[in-house]
Amino acid sequence: MPESRNSRLTRPETLTALGIIVVAVGFLIPTYDLRAISALLPAAMLVGLIVLSVALLVSDQRKASMGEEAQQMTKSPKRVIGAFMLIVAYALATDYIGFYLSTAVTIPLVAWVFGYRSPVGLLIATVIVVGTIWAIFDFGMSQDFPTGRFWGR
Amino acid sequence: MYADLLHALPDVFAWTNFAAVVIGVIAGIVVGAMPGLSATMAISVLVPFTFGLEPLVALGLMAGIYNGAMYGGAIPAVLLRIPGTPAAVATTFDGYPMAQKGEGGFALQVAVVSSAIGGIASAFALMLLAPPLSKVTLLFGPSEVFWVAVFGLASIIFLLGGNPIKGLISACFGVFVSVIGSDPIYGNDRFTFGQLEMLDGINIVILLVGLYALPPVIDLLETPLKTDGINSSKLGTESIWKALPRMNYWKTWIRGSFIGIWIGILPGAGGSMAAFMSYNEARRTSKHPETWGEGEPEGVAAAEVANNADTASALIPALTLGIPGTAVAAVMLGGLLVHGLQPGPMLFRDNPDIVFGFMWQFLFGAILLVLLGGSLATNSFARLLNLPRPLLGSVIIVLMLIGVYSIHGRMFDVYLMLGFGAIGWVMDRLKFPLPPVVLGLILGGFAEENLRLALRIGRGDPMILFQNTTSLILVALTVAVIIGPTLKRRFIDSSKS
Repeated sequence: MPESRNSRLTRPETLTALGIIVVAVGFLIPTYDLRAISALLPAAMLVGLIVLSVALLVSDQRKASMGEEAQQMTKSPKRVIGAFMLIVAYALATDYIGFYLSTAVTIPLVAWVFGYRSPVGLLIATVIVVGTIWAIFDFGMSQDFPTGRFWGR
Repeated sequence: MYADLLHALPDVFAWTNFAAVVIGVIAGIVVGAMPGLSATMAISVLVPFTFGLEPLVALGLMAGIYNGAMYGGAIPAVLLRIPGTPAAVATTFDGYPMAQKGEGGFALQVAVVSSAIGGIASAFALMLLAPPLSKVTLLFGPSEVFWVAVFGLASIIFLLGGNPIKGLISACFGVFVSVIGSDPIYGNDRFTFGQLEMLDGINIVILLVGLYALPPVIDLLETPLKTDGINSSKLGTESIWKALPRMNYWKTWIRGSFIGIWIGILPGAGGSMAAFMSYNEARRTSKHPETWGEGEPEGVAAAEVANNADTASALIPALTLGIPGTAVAAVMLGGLLVHGLQPGPMLFRDNPDIVFGFMWQFLFGAILLVLLGGSLATNSFARLLNLPRPLLGSVIIVLMLIGVYSIHGRMFDVYLMLGFGAIGWVMDRLKFPLPPVVLGLILGGFAEENLRLALRIGRGDPMILFQNTTSLILVALTVAVIIGPTLKRRFIDSSKS
């Protein structure tokens, strides 16, 4: 049975195609300020992206009208969104409170949230990973990691 | 032509370079043995850590990981019927039934010996074929180089199979990313939006880590794998030297090596196709095809020899023309660029010790597989399957951040990597191919520079691009690559109907 109009427009491929078109049009605007030869390749690629996305959109809508089910992006969206958010939070924490503190919290937190619940295992893993990073990068290679904007450093 | 090959040999035996291959092989087996992790992902994560290393140390690590991971994929394929890498799918057909019969140890030994033979054959193919091909490409001018780039992109889009529209979108995205930054000739900013960090363009490592490392980490956290505990003491493993006389698969090994090498050279095909083709051919010519699928060791040999034979051979077009045969080869090109080694004919002329040393490292990596993947190590590697995946995921996240941050010492690159990671995850789930993005980034700038140079030589006349025989041959090849798969599909459809 063909899908309703709303569900047809929320199919992942359709949404992706629409997203690409919007972003490509947005990037196309600054090409008018460039010299012609400088703008040649980027403009060609952006126009290509728009045309191809329209083709993708049309082909996905055709599939929808024939009753073909949309490709499922994930079986557990909450876990995927949670994973992404934790990774972004880790990057922000590194930036604002420093690398070592955020790493020492992130390793056990991510593992705990996603199902590894052994406190001893988490402690040992965190100590080994953070210790190895310090020994190799900080001590061995003099690599500086972010110390945290929050602390004013 | 081959004298440089011998000159490069002593450098390979420097202890740091040799140790890099050993560490790489071990790390590769570990990565390959973990379902969800791949050689592509491992090399993507590794590349930023190699900035401060000597080129041969970095390349040795990559060669070792590539060889090791292709064998490592056989461990869960045999023990759990879960291929550790996509190329190990065909290994499950007979490997898992062997494990159920209590012959898992022998299946893994057949896999490791076959992988080593495939890897050795592939390394020899790279040594023999790459130098003469590089001599031919020395004759190329700007318009030929431009067409080589177009041919490379076209072949990876259209020969990769799947939806060509999605392949083209991936390639356009990759080429577009390559033009971000200062214009190479006029110096004006393109799409930097005032960000000083983007003036030099997007570093390929940021894109590689985002596209190839973040989606597998999300997968690791999304679906925890239950292994039910692998008891490696029940593998029934004896010494590999005692097991060797039981392996008499020379015909399968030779045939599988040729198939793997050929598939590796073809852009876009990859190890899984090589393994399937070799398995089918070996089964077709077997005297007892009825035993296949029920625990026939020759089935494991056929699959593993071919998926390892496509490793070094995938670098033949990559090193000589800048066209990688597989996704791993595309990532390795990124690794070469990080060390200032631009793939193409000049690589062989300007850095013979490094490029030929890299070839030797592939050969030694393959030989080391037997020593490092033997009985004792196989038991240890099998235990890796019991590692908790959420913990592994969290450690990889930390390594990704360190690797990307270390490139320029700034968090901006980390945020950019996360952006590419999100894009990569969506592309992965919607089956947009990722290799054209990487190739687009590598070849985009290269193509633009040569196109503009050719147009300058021709005083703006685009006909300069079609004025010599080599260019016309490359145009014809590009057209053939684009319309070939469509014609083939139509021919199959019409013959079916």
